[in-house]
Formats: sequence, C-alpha cells, structure tokens
Amino acid sequence: MSAWEALRERFDLPEEPSAEEPPVIDVSRHVEMAAALKEFGFTMYVTVCATHFPEEAPKAKKGEDPPPPIPEHWEVATVLRRPGARSETFAWRVSVERPVVPTLFPLFAGADWQEREQYDLVGVIFEGHPDLRRLMMPEDWDGHPLRKDYAIDTRVHPWR
Amino acid sequence: MDIEDYDPDADLMALNMGPQHPSTHGVFRIKLILDGERIVKAVPYPGYLHRGVEKLCEKLTYVQITPIFDKHDYVAPMTNEQAINMAFEKLLGLEVPQRAKVLRTILAELQRIASHLLWLGTFTLDIGGTIGGGASLMMYTFRERELILDLFEALTGCRFHYNTHCPGGNRHDVPEGWETVVRHVMDTIEPRIDEYEAICDSEIFLMRTEGVGLISPDLALETGQSGPVLRASGIDHDLRRDAPYHAYDQVQVRVHVETAGDCLARYKVRVAEMRESIRLVRELLGLLEPGPIVGSKPIKSLVQFKASGGQVYVGIETPRGELGTYLVGGGDQRGAAPYRCKIRPPSLHAMSVLPYVLPGHQVSDVVTILGSLDPIMGEVDR
Repeated sequence: MSAWEALRERFDLPEEPSAEEPPVIDVSRHVEMAAALKEFGFTMYVTVCATHFPEEAPKAKKGEDPPPPIPEHWEVATVLRRPGARSETFAWRVSVERPVVPTLFPLFAGADWQEREQYDLVGVIFEGHPDLRRLMMPEDWDGHPLRKDYAIDTRVHPWR
Repeated sequence: MDIEDYDPDADLMALNMGPQHPSTHGVFRIKLILDGERIVKAVPYPGYLHRGVEKLCEKLTYVQITPIFDKHDYVAPMTNEQAINMAFEKLLGLEVPQRAKVLRTILAELQRIASHLLWLGTFTLDIGGTIGGGASLMMYTFRERELILDLFEALTGCRFHYNTHCPGGNRHDVPEGWETVVRHVMDTIEPRIDEYEAICDSEIFLMRTEGVGLISPDLALETGQSGPVLRASGIDHDLRRDAPYHAYDQVQVRVHVETAGDCLARYKVRVAEMRESIRLVRELLGLLEPGPIVGSKPIKSLVQFKASGGQVYVGIETPRGELGTYLVGGGDQRGAAPYRCKIRPPSLHAMSVLPYVLPGHQVSDVVTILGSLDPIMGEVDR
C-alpha cells in the first residue's frame, strides 16, 4: 500500500496524487503529517520551501463583477523522501495567513538549517524552533528578501 | 563533556576558523569552543557567499536561469544545469529525446569523475599539505581532471559554465570523433585510479582518516545527508538506481556502500564511484544512437511555453548528493518566470552535520572532516 492510500482518509487528501499540485492540509495537522510519514518510512528530510503570496486582485472577466481579492498568505511546502529501493518523495503544503508554522525540528534534525533559511529569506516563523537565527543574511539585515514586496533593487546600506 | 557541564571559570577558548581559511573550501566561518586542543562546541556560520540566486530566478525566464546554475556549484556545473532543467521540463511538460537523455547521462557521469578527482586532490592537500605528499597527488588528479574538461570544451566550447542544457534537450551535439576520445580518456584514467589507491598504504593517511568524523546512519538520515556521505554511513540509497532519471533505467548502476561512517569510508565510496562512472560512461556510449537532441518544440522564445501554475519537486544525484529544486510555477497571471525557486543543495545539509560531529575531535580533525564532506561554498550559500 502506498503512503498516499494509507494517509488519504486520515488527512482528507484527494483521490489521486497529482504530479504538479502537492496537497494542502490544515496547519494544525502539519506535525502530525510529518510524524505519520516518518513512521511510514519517509525518514529523509529533503527540503522546506516557503512562498509569499501578497494580496492579489484577480482580473475580472468581461461584463462580470471583479472577484474578491485573495488576501496575503504564505504557503510552506515540505518534502520528505523514503530512501532505498524505489525511493519516492512526498510533498505537502500548509497555507497560513500569518507567517507562523510549527517546526519539524523535534522530528528531523535536518529541518534546523532549512527552517532557519526560510525564516531568514521569507520571514516565516517556525514556532518551537530552538535557535531561529538568520542563516544567510547578516544578523542586522532589515526585511526578508524573498518576500514579494521586497523589490530586487531595494537600496541597502553598504555592509561593513 | 557538554559545554553546559563546564565551570563558567573554566579555561575554555573560542577560536574563530574562517571566513578566510585555506581549508574551508571557500568562505565559511566556524566558531570553535576549545578545551585545550579538544573541541567542546562548534557553531558554523555560512552565508558569506550568499548571492541571492533564488531572488534572481524570480526575475529571469526559464531559459535565462540555466547559466546561473552553472555558478552555484562551480565544481559540477553539468549536473546543476540538469537539475534545474529537469524541474522546468516537469513543470512545463516537455519531453526529452532519447539521444539527449543518453548524452546528459554521459555528461553527468563524466562530471562525477571530474568532481571526485578535484575532491581527492584537495582532500589530500587538506590532511597532508605539502609535507605529507598531498600536494603531489593534487597535481596528478588535476592532470586527469583536465582531460575531462577538454572533453567538455570540445563539446560546448567552455571549460566551465557550459550552458549546454536547455528545457527540452541539449544545445550542443557531440562533435565528430568525440566518442573515441571519451573512450581513450576513460582508458587513461582507469589505471591511474589504482595508482591513487596507493595512498591507502600511507600510515599517516590512515591515522588521519580512520575513525575520524563518525556519522551514524540515523544521524545521516535525520540531518538529510545524501550522496557519498549517506552511503559511507551504511545507507544503501542512490537516486540513479532507486529513482532513475535520464537514461539510468537503461543501464545497471552498482552502488558502493561502506558501513564505517568515517572519513576513510567517504574516501572509499568516492573512489569506488569514480570506477563505476568509468564503467557507466563506456556502457552509455554504446547507447548513443543518432537522433535529435532537442524536443519537438524548438527553444527560441518563451512565448511558446505555456505558463504553468503548478508546484514540482525534482531531485537528482549530483556528485555531492541529492540536488533538488522546488519550483512554484508563474501561472497565467504572473508571466513566464518561476514564481518561487527553492534549491536544495546537498552541501548545505552536509555542513549542518558539523555541530553534531565535531565535538570531541581535535582542531586538526576539523579540516579532515570538513574536507571529507566535500562542501562547495557556492552551493551552500547560493
């Protein structure tokens, strides 16, 4: 039985896994999902990717009222891998309106630096992380460069 | 002893290693808390080479991104290009023709040999320096690596930063007689690897590497190690065999696993991989049949690509381990550039094991352990 089948009912996943759309689950079940997958043999921590979506007004179709704007939100995608023969990855997303997501550090030590990097660049706070410092940017840097409202030509003071 | 067990008045010393230090393979700082010569605590500080590649990827279009990826792991640019282009192909739904698949596999294996040769040379330089004979081995490995760079130059016109892959295929087809030269180079390198193995007769080399920098299988998996570091810790995992991509499903990849988990095991895995790569290149040359090297859509302008809004993860086995790319597509509203591009560098995970491994070792072992992980700082910091 594949991991998808085993977890489908428990986490209310769609019928079939999609190659291009990792499932979105509720943020309160984020840690539970990781723990369930770890028991299922997905013991290798691959990556975490946080994405910032600023408030966006979708284009209106001709002759229709414009749809309501999509509020600012963050998506955090986590990828785990089952090592060994017929290795496969499992990815899922959580979508949050405040950039706060529980950490996976107690389950996977590899989440340490990856979550620090996402905090540094995207500004997502991983609640419960023991040492959430900046990883790439200098400690006294202002802002989070991979947010969409951080322009690529933002002027910064020359750094020491 | 843990750092909390020490008396606050104890005579501990903080030593700052780097950022400019010849053995850190780039610009990397590690703060060591020492009790005499012994390390009590190690705190790494990466980020000195951070160039904001991920932000840049959001500005550029799918075709423009490939040459940037050459620069982030500058020792193995071929496999880096493949990683990002495979992610694009998955996101955009492009097919790669058979000849390009085989050619990419050959290039990846040649790159693996070149990268491991560079690692072997610099590793012996790290542990022995000029006195232990390390410098002479470095000269020899660079001589062999040059032969492979010549092959790449004949194919693409560049020794480095090839930009030979594009979404849907390759740009440069092999020149006439290239296969013969590749076979000749493989025949030249193979006996020389046996000569390098004589380094294992050196007592100094064994004393510096055996039992140093132990990484247990559990720690290796938990911290997300991959590639030779993972296989040296006894985990039988290789994406080329376990999740085949390119033409790896048409050949049989023999995976070398060591169980010791120390620096010597990592050396043995890499040397065995060089031999395996030579065998694979010879076998793959036989599969290189005439045909197109780019997919049916010519890669001229981006308008041809349907802007996809999906999210994909693709991981491939580079010389250093699993290089993954998590791509968030632009979608119709946001144009033909990726909305978010997250790179999963194997070296970053390799470096994150240092705080667990270093305590208890001596200062001189830091250089050995760091070297045995084969980090490329351009890839760690991006």
